[in-house]
Amino acid sequence: MKTRGEATTLRPLAWSAVAFAAGTLLNADRVPAWVPVAALILASWRIWAAWRPARSLRLPGTLVRSVLAGLMVLGVLARFHTLNGLSAGTALLILMGASKLLETSSQRDERIVVGVSLFLLLAAVLDRQDLLRTPLYLAQVWICCTAMAVIGYAPTPGRREPGIGRGFDDRSALKLAARTLLLATPLALLMFLFFPRLAGAFWSLPRNDLATTGLSDTMTPGSITRLTSSYDIAFRVRFQGPAPPPAMRYWRGPVLHDFDGETWRRTFTGPYRKAPLEYLGTPYRYLVLLEPSSQRWWFALDTIGRRPDGPVFLTEDDELIGVRPVNDTTTYTAVSYTDVRSTAELTAGPRRRDTQPVRGNPRSQAFARDLRARAGSDGAYVDAVLNFLRTGGFEYTLTPPPLGRDSVDDFLFGTRRGFCGHFASAFVALMREAKVPAHVVTGYLGGEWNPVGGYLIVRQSDAHAWAEVWLQGRGWTRVDPTAVVEPERLNRGILDLLPGAVSAEARLVRASSWLTALLQRWDAANAWWTENVVKYDFNAQIGILQRLGIDSPDASDLGWGLAGGLVLWMVWIAWQHGRSAPRPRRDRLTLAYSRLCDKLLKIGIERAPHHGPLAFAATVRQRRPDLSGSVEALLSEYAQLRFGPGSGNPDAAAVSAFERAVRQLACRRESRVDPLR
Amino acid sequence: MVSAAHIRVYWQLRMASWVRRRQGLDVLPITLHRRRIYILPTRAGLGFLLLVFLMLVAGLNYANSLALFLTFLLGGFGLISMHQCHRNLLGTGLRAASAGPTFASRAGTLRLELESSASTPRYRIGAAIETETPLLTDLPAKGRQSIDLSVAAPVRGVVHIERLKLTTTHPFGLFRSWSWVHLPLRMIVYPRPSGTLPMPADDAQDAGRLARGGAGADEWLGLRPFRDGDSPRQVDWKAYAREAPLLVKEYSASASELRLFRFDALPRWGIERRLEQLARWIVDAEAQGQTYGIEIPGTRIEPDRGPEHRHRCLSALALHEHRERTQ
Repeated sequence: MKTRGEATTLRPLAWSAVAFAAGTLLNADRVPAWVPVAALILASWRIWAAWRPARSLRLPGTLVRSVLAGLMVLGVLARFHTLNGLSAGTALLILMGASKLLETSSQRDERIVVGVSLFLLLAAVLDRQDLLRTPLYLAQVWICCTAMAVIGYAPTPGRREPGIGRGFDDRSALKLAARTLLLATPLALLMFLFFPRLAGAFWSLPRNDLATTGLSDTMTPGSITRLTSSYDIAFRVRFQGPAPPPAMRYWRGPVLHDFDGETWRRTFTGPYRKAPLEYLGTPYRYLVLLEPSSQRWWFALDTIGRRPDGPVFLTEDDELIGVRPVNDTTTYTAVSYTDVRSTAELTAGPRRRDTQPVRGNPRSQAFARDLRARAGSDGAYVDAVLNFLRTGGFEYTLTPPPLGRDSVDDFLFGTRRGFCGHFASAFVALMREAKVPAHVVTGYLGGEWNPVGGYLIVRQSDAHAWAEVWLQGRGWTRVDPTAVVEPERLNRGILDLLPGAVSAEARLVRASSWLTALLQRWDAANAWWTENVVKYDFNAQIGILQRLGIDSPDASDLGWGLAGGLVLWMVWIAWQHGRSAPRPRRDRLTLAYSRLCDKLLKIGIERAPHHGPLAFAATVRQRRPDLSGSVEALLSEYAQLRFGPGSGNPDAAAVSAFERAVRQLACRRESRVDPLR
Repeated sequence: MVSAAHIRVYWQLRMASWVRRRQGLDVLPITLHRRRIYILPTRAGLGFLLLVFLMLVAGLNYANSLALFLTFLLGGFGLISMHQCHRNLLGTGLRAASAGPTFASRAGTLRLELESSASTPRYRIGAAIETETPLLTDLPAKGRQSIDLSVAAPVRGVVHIERLKLTTTHPFGLFRSWSWVHLPLRMIVYPRPSGTLPMPADDAQDAGRLARGGAGADEWLGLRPFRDGDSPRQVDWKAYAREAPLLVKEYSASASELRLFRFDALPRWGIERRLEQLARWIVDAEAQGQTYGIEIPGTRIEPDRGPEHRHRCLSALALHEHRERTQ
């Protein structure tokens, strides 16, 4: 009995399986582990059955296949509770592709599997467009194209085809696909540059699969240390003009008002009108490339001047909150000031909110009241508290001892060892107990300058917490108690101060200068990639047209550029192909023969379409006996050259002689009355 | 009622006559050039187009640069594959085509000699009669390959093969390019040898021998391999049972045994049945090395023997009041 495995040959099946496996691998880290494993098992099953048809594991029948497919859909549903969404969709696509592969028995099935592989590629690209993964994506395109070539070349099952199946091997297929893709690259680049980008999305897939990273809208004094152990990049900043000095690089994030004795929260009690600000000093203009975090926070230097363009809100606390979670790299331009002032009064609402007394902590309450009473003003009180922190034997450490129920008391008068969160928290608590409005601000401090790309890298390890107090005549004023305890923190990253903060690999990287340089180059390349390729949009297109010298370009110029480039490319491709396939020249022998026939036609002897040269010679003999000598010889010569022995590769000299003889043949029209005769 | 199939056939016919008028009749050898190669996407090509379109929409929707780039790359790939498919046929050609005669209800063979004048190999070049499924072959650079197409021949007469198709979907199978070759090819279809009447003797000389029958009196010549059209009665079945190949017993006819097979001497059956009986006798007589001739209304072929003669006689039967058939 004919098994299913024999219906199609192994090679194209194997290639479609390779394409599918590669597509699965590109998505393997985004789906539950059992999905690629199940896909692999099904694919191997099919390949094994085709490879060893005689002793094959029997391929499953329709019933088993349906049950398997149903189980797999249920599995996806159980894990994701939906089939909509990028991860769930990808998992489903992988499983359905594997089921398709299992029942593959025709060229059409194999092509569908390759199509699924290309969709898997699309899913992976929609998820991530890193520079690092781009070669993998291109490789997948190559594999899929090769698979298409191999599938297309497969012999038709059940037909004896002469000469098929030897010449075009895997190497040729790989080469052909590579060559074709290379030829297509200019077009792809052209289209990439000029194809008009539409603004806005037609629809969106829910994405619930991303891990949230970065700062959140709550903080316990120790929670920042969780972030600082991560060497991941939070965002990159490219300044247009000079960068602020390191000590001024405070990147503002969530502002926290509510303290329950343990955790600071960003409780929303507003909206309050924002106090009018005077922006002093130099504005800093810069571009931020925000890495995905799944959170809605955007970050800006110190005090931002106005809301940046983009789907983002600017709150009264000068926080930036995105309309949607940041799931893709986001870019925005912002203008910030490091010197601002507000001479207005703080309105009652914010004052009440930011002077809520801290529960418990009797020692610090007494201490704060006492200190405030001795200080003449709020400003002097702030200095006194900072002085207490500076001289009180406090230690900046990554591993603070745990705190009890009265955490502020414990910290200030007990352990005295803490991280930025402890200092900010305790400082704000002391302020509030003395009725000075204050709140905690979280964000990042500093950043690593990348000399290769000329931009600042801000990592999760730069996460920081500081305080803001309201001072009459100055408005909200930043106070960083950590900087008092550890002044070096202002100028150096946490990694230099507390080497234990990050993982061993990151420490290793920082220990070796050439590795650091190498990584800076790599990061510069990544930043360039993100800025210029991933974030290439309509504005960038217009910019390119301007650089090409077009005044005030618009979308129609893009269209013209596209059309022109397309025509040029088509011409180039046609030329490429024309060059490699020489114009088929007509056979010289045939040409000479048709010239001979033309000559005879002119004198009224026509060759019937079904007459060969010899039959034609008979006609000539009958019609014009006078010509029969020369013409008949030529015709039989032609017959000899064309059909005689050695006609496969006729002797060039003989062909030339025949051509010459045809050219020299003189045949005149028969004249009934020839006066000379 | 007009169905989709009707429309399809109508357009195929319209196209066929347009192509025929455009190209004229061909003379072998033919090398395919640009102006006679047609190209359209295959079903897989349309699927690929849909896939690229979906990728484009997804890329635009998410403003995903890399997805757009890969979309454009695949789109360009598709366009180039069109050029490649077109080029795969360019420079290939048909050097010779011949359709040998066959017996009715037995498939005939059309032998084509394909050649390529291109400097690179040509893969999966298919040849077909009209719109049948093409038979595929590879052509080495500046090389040749003969292929045999089978031609259906259900009834005796002449099968006209109006046009041949050379086609390819290589590489990638996204496009199909093809070219039509119009050659006035005829394939003679002999009547099917059939009938059980004994072979008549030369009734012009001795009518009485008709009753006696033929084969027994002949002189044993030897064995030769089985050929199409041989009578099963002449096969050496005993040898075959000993696992020898199919062999046929040959007899020589003595010079005196001139036989004339006459159409009119047969019982008043239908024309076809009588022709089949005549074909049976011709095949048998030739196999036995006898000298035979035929006489059918309008034609008389004097007794002779040999393959040429056999072909002449069988062709005369094939062409007797036949209807032209177009393959």
